[in-house]
Amino acid sequence: MSIEPITGRYLTVTVAGAPRRIYFEEAGEGRPVLCLHTAGADTRQWRHLMNDAGVTATHRLIAFDMPWHGKSLPPEGFQTEEYLLTTEAYIETVLAVVNGLGLQRPILAGCSMGGRIALQLAAQHADMFSGFIAIEASDFQPAWYDIDWFHRPDAHGGEMGAALVSANISPFAPLAERWNTLWMFMQSGPGVFRGDLSFYTRDESLIGRLAMIDTARTPVHLIVGAYDLTCTPEDAARTARAIAGATLAVMDELGHFPMSEHPEGFRPFFLEGLAKMAQGTDRQGQAA
Amino acid sequence: MIDIFRGIQRDLDGAAHLQRLGRLFSETVLIEVDGREFYLTFDMGRIKAVVEGPSRKTPWRFALRTDSEALTKFWEPRPAPGFHDIFGLVKIGRGRIDGDILTLVKNLRFFKEVLALARRSEEVPA
Repeated sequence: MSIEPITGRYLTVTVAGAPRRIYFEEAGEGRPVLCLHTAGADTRQWRHLMNDAGVTATHRLIAFDMPWHGKSLPPEGFQTEEYLLTTEAYIETVLAVVNGLGLQRPILAGCSMGGRIALQLAAQHADMFSGFIAIEASDFQPAWYDIDWFHRPDAHGGEMGAALVSANISPFAPLAERWNTLWMFMQSGPGVFRGDLSFYTRDESLIGRLAMIDTARTPVHLIVGAYDLTCTPEDAARTARAIAGATLAVMDELGHFPMSEHPEGFRPFFLEGLAKMAQGTDRQGQAA
Repeated sequence: MIDIFRGIQRDLDGAAHLQRLGRLFSETVLIEVDGREFYLTFDMGRIKAVVEGPSRKTPWRFALRTDSEALTKFWEPRPAPGFHDIFGLVKIGRGRIDGDILTLVKNLRFFKEVLALARRSEEVPA
């Protein structure tokens, strides 16, 4: 028998003028790191790092399920609402969680759409954070698929979504973790993956904001997997070039869900990212 | 090439979980390799027939068009990026998917895992 050090609780915050009951997990002590999951998934993607004593000895990792995802309920009245995530609602939600938990300038680590919003926050709300680790994140990609495939009355959107995103998982990923990663997509609520993809594949607003990011104040480190078809190394490199001072690491044997599909392979890249955040703090301290 | 597809047909006969996944899939799929046509006719999750073309009379639901070198790389135990998935082949310009894509997507896990039966390791997933 074993009991993991991860603890889970709920907080209620206000987003768009209405309450959201949000599930969050945390583990560790030290510098806070707020972790954002990908589209169509939830906090479980971060469980390996939250169970990694080498990370949690010096960092307090916190992850939360976005409303509609995992154990966070959709808002009241969802039954007549079309779920379409927007940049504005996403930013408001992340900031509400930061404030609700009383986090003092956490590092923000986000993957895929979580990485996209991390860069949006780096551009618009950098004062709330002390650094950004943007994983499988880029300025923008239009869909190479039809997002409406994933919400139809005649098919299981979760199973189709999982089959699609399996294209983004590296063949080096351990089989068990590949399928644990896909299971989250299979469990995703009806229309949720589609609503996330609407944000991810239709909102181009980050492109014009990348130049606003000041990496001297808050470092930005991008990490991308070579097997990611959705955010390719070329996409991440283009994005990194548009952010003065941003750094980029390419993982040759990983895909779009590195912390979940191949925890051991991702670990050194995440640690490298955390180390770069420390350098940023030092730099800011010197400037002050 | 047709021997590989017939090998997939035999392997699918022994893969109960794939037959269960594909139990509603009864369609003909065209796989075009270096311009040569191969028609795989599925019947309730099994491959009933593998027939080499050319044929102008065989209706098909969707088609995957690629080249033999790309498919050979696809079937390696750990393919290089892009060669690891049929959508990867499309992304890197080594494949094209035509026809009723929605039918493919509804049966995507089944079709991808069937095609990957020729991959040279049981440890490596579809």
